[in-house]
Amino acid sequence: MKKSIILILTLLPVFIACRKKEVDKIDGPSLNNVYGAFNVVSPLDKSLDSVDFSIGQTLSFSAEISKIVDWKIKITGQNSGAVKIIEGTSSKLDATNTTWIGNTTEFPVFRTEICDIQLTFNGEADTLVSQVKIIQPKLNPGFVVADFETGLNPGWASFIQSGADMDFQIKTDNFAPQGNSYYNMAGTVDWDWLIGYLYLGASAYGAPHFPLSDNPDNTYFNIMIYGEPGMINTLLLFQFQEDDDNNGSFNATSEDMYSLEIPVNWVGWKLISVKYSDIPSLFNGQPSAPNGNGQHNSDKIQQVNILDLANPISGNAKTKIDYIIFTENAPVNP
Amino acid sequence: MKAILILSITCISFWGLSQTGKKVQFVGSARSLLSNASFKTQGSEEDTVTPRKSAGGYALIDLGFKINPNATTEIMGMIRVKNDLGGFWGSNVAFDVRQIYVRGVAGNILRYQIGNIDYKLTPYTFYNHNPDMLISGRGVLKMKEDILNYESFYRDDNTWRQQGAAVDFGLAFPKIIKDVKFNGFITRLNPSNLTNIFERMYGGGNVIITQSKFFKFGINNASVFDLKGTAASVNTYKNSVSSVTYDLGLDRDKYKVGIKGESGISNSGFAEDTSRLEDFFANTQLYVKLKKLNLDVTLGYMNNGADFRSAGAQSKRINFSQTSSFFDRYTNSQIQRSLSMYDLYNDPLLYASSISTGIIGYDPSINNALPYGIASFNRQGIYLTAHYADTSGKISANVDFYKLSEIRGQGTLNLKKFNFINTNVRVNFNKIFGWKKDVSMDIGGNYQFTKRESEIEFERVSLTSGALSFAGEIEILDKLYLLGNVYHYESKGNDLMPLRNAKDEIINFTVFNANRFENYYAAGLKFQFSKDIYLSAFYESNLNNGNGFSPYKLNQFMIIYNMKF
Repeated sequence: MKKSIILILTLLPVFIACRKKEVDKIDGPSLNNVYGAFNVVSPLDKSLDSVDFSIGQTLSFSAEISKIVDWKIKITGQNSGAVKIIEGTSSKLDATNTTWIGNTTEFPVFRTEICDIQLTFNGEADTLVSQVKIIQPKLNPGFVVADFETGLNPGWASFIQSGADMDFQIKTDNFAPQGNSYYNMAGTVDWDWLIGYLYLGASAYGAPHFPLSDNPDNTYFNIMIYGEPGMINTLLLFQFQEDDDNNGSFNATSEDMYSLEIPVNWVGWKLISVKYSDIPSLFNGQPSAPNGNGQHNSDKIQQVNILDLANPISGNAKTKIDYIIFTENAPVNP
Repeated sequence: MKAILILSITCISFWGLSQTGKKVQFVGSARSLLSNASFKTQGSEEDTVTPRKSAGGYALIDLGFKINPNATTEIMGMIRVKNDLGGFWGSNVAFDVRQIYVRGVAGNILRYQIGNIDYKLTPYTFYNHNPDMLISGRGVLKMKEDILNYESFYRDDNTWRQQGAAVDFGLAFPKIIKDVKFNGFITRLNPSNLTNIFERMYGGGNVIITQSKFFKFGINNASVFDLKGTAASVNTYKNSVSSVTYDLGLDRDKYKVGIKGESGISNSGFAEDTSRLEDFFANTQLYVKLKKLNLDVTLGYMNNGADFRSAGAQSKRINFSQTSSFFDRYTNSQIQRSLSMYDLYNDPLLYASSISTGIIGYDPSINNALPYGIASFNRQGIYLTAHYADTSGKISANVDFYKLSEIRGQGTLNLKKFNFINTNVRVNFNKIFGWKKDVSMDIGGNYQFTKRESEIEFERVSLTSGALSFAGEIEILDKLYLLGNVYHYESKGNDLMPLRNAKDEIINFTVFNANRFENYYAAGLKFQFSKDIYLSAFYESNLNNGNGFSPYKLNQFMIIYNMKF
């Protein structure tokens, strides 16, 4: 009995001593990082003074702060007015949390231009600034259906109702989110839903089908759409006609057509990206069974129809579109 | 092997099956509670928004059918019918199944119970600690505490109510080893939703080897685990705690002295975690029992690792991130009323009825030293407990003192240190002075001090909490008792409380400032028809300073009729 107690009392300190050293460990973030004084330990720096995003170069920033803080890097194109925001919470900024591939957060997209860089910290007055030159903007992989930079493709078909204030045309001004031009679609038709349309056939590009992957789960349709302030009446309908039987034409009674309805109820430019397999088949706006093989055959899309619609009660529609592009594996990140 | 006896044969008699010989018995309880409460926001600005009165109550009956189809089987089903005050003809009437189980002895060897089981293993593996009710229950508070415990299925033996199955059996040996007992359980914590929530189970057991009356040894395990394939994910969760328990004692006529304790390891995390939380704990006690004095003294050392996690032993009864539904908002701005000590005795809805797998928030003003009981993680230090009970029942006293510290600092290398003392003295005056009628009084107090020293101001912590309570019961007429309670609770100082993410990792800290006090007074009468039946009417008043910002006063008159049968 006595020996056993001595044995246990002897073993206990040995057991406790086995605990891995805790003297240099803490639970959670350092309190200094949370409640300590704010100081810029190392100033804002960048990996390149000028960057060519078109060849895959990236830009990253570095800085070090004395505590963990919410920070924000704002990059503004001097010519385009494009804005890229990078945000994070840390005490150290480096390539792991600040890398920029040339994409934009607020349209338009960046151009060849000088950009102003601003690093700010939540709750702190300090602002660190710098500049960078974009030699060439980012190129986006994918098949560009239309960016309206060179006018209307003669292979496209268009129709404009005979309503009031009809304004369907390519415009070149500062509104363009990408490049210099976009397509304006506006007018008032109080006797029909249709205001006007633009049919973009693959034949306009010299092929029976758009050059896309056969995997609809990897194929994305992307378009930039502008919502006019105070206008929530505009409805854009995108129809994707498939040539299921590979005969070079579309038969509505025996082949698939998938439709995407976008009520334009926001203000400003917005990028819409939809996975092709997510686009339903619609009949009068309601989901319905497709008339063809019932499969999303992205490699058999032979025409994309863009219909500008509005409820005839008001009959007034006004929007702009730009940069229609099919991408693979991911939505476009312009 | 012939010498091995099956213990369970002898267990049947004390298990209580068919004690009355009746095939069917009715068991249960009934309660009726009426409340008329008033609330008043204190301070210079008159509160014209908060309703000042609240009246309500209910009547309920828990009716159980205990069926003994044979001498070794018992079937229990209990339904609850509850009718809120003012609800008649079917409105505000609730029907629930409160309890259902089958238990018995299979083949005179194996005891089993299926359905609702009240279960525990050891204080570090599976145990329903009660670290927040530090004020002694007596008088009015005792009645209210009993109701809370009954509603939440808490029992004096610290079990958790679970749904599942439990078995146990034992073997007796003629020499070397006296007996070996095996216990096992499996319960279901939550069902799968067939998408992202797994079927979560809780199981384990122990083997207790009694070598002699001098030495007992046990191996224990309790594990929470997700069943693979029950959700569209592979990221299953598991928390496993294994421990050994021992008790080596020398039992003499005048005293018993020995050493006992529990040590073990825990491992918890998700399957896809790159690193899992692993740690160990050790708790050893030297104990002395002086039989003539009826005095137990224990000196203990505990070392619970910072990453020690035990779902079954660290689940709290109260989640302090809740608010009470009783006058939950007040002042003209309708601010949320924080949980008070009074709410802990007043609102059964605050209490959990089962264990949880995440770390539950606690109130450092109430128990900062041991927020999860003796199984609290990240604590090391010594403790001393002394329990004395006069053999004639005149006086009893308990003192528990802990001197602890963190093992790993939170946000800093500096460690918090905790001093915690909790004491309670009960005096039965009638036995001292030879009076025929009961006159008893409880005096209780607790004090906690948390300190973290640092050269950096924002790392410093200093938090003091304490409560002093008096409770008395005087039998003024035959079976008619005068009840009285007074307590004062106070907490002042600061702490930094961790904010945790879904994986219970600390991601930030929030400043906790306490400047709280509460004063509570209660007085009433209780007529004790029998041991299990009473009728009581009392008035209570609670003054709360609202942490120094928005004080309020809450008064309540209650009538409670309670019976068990």
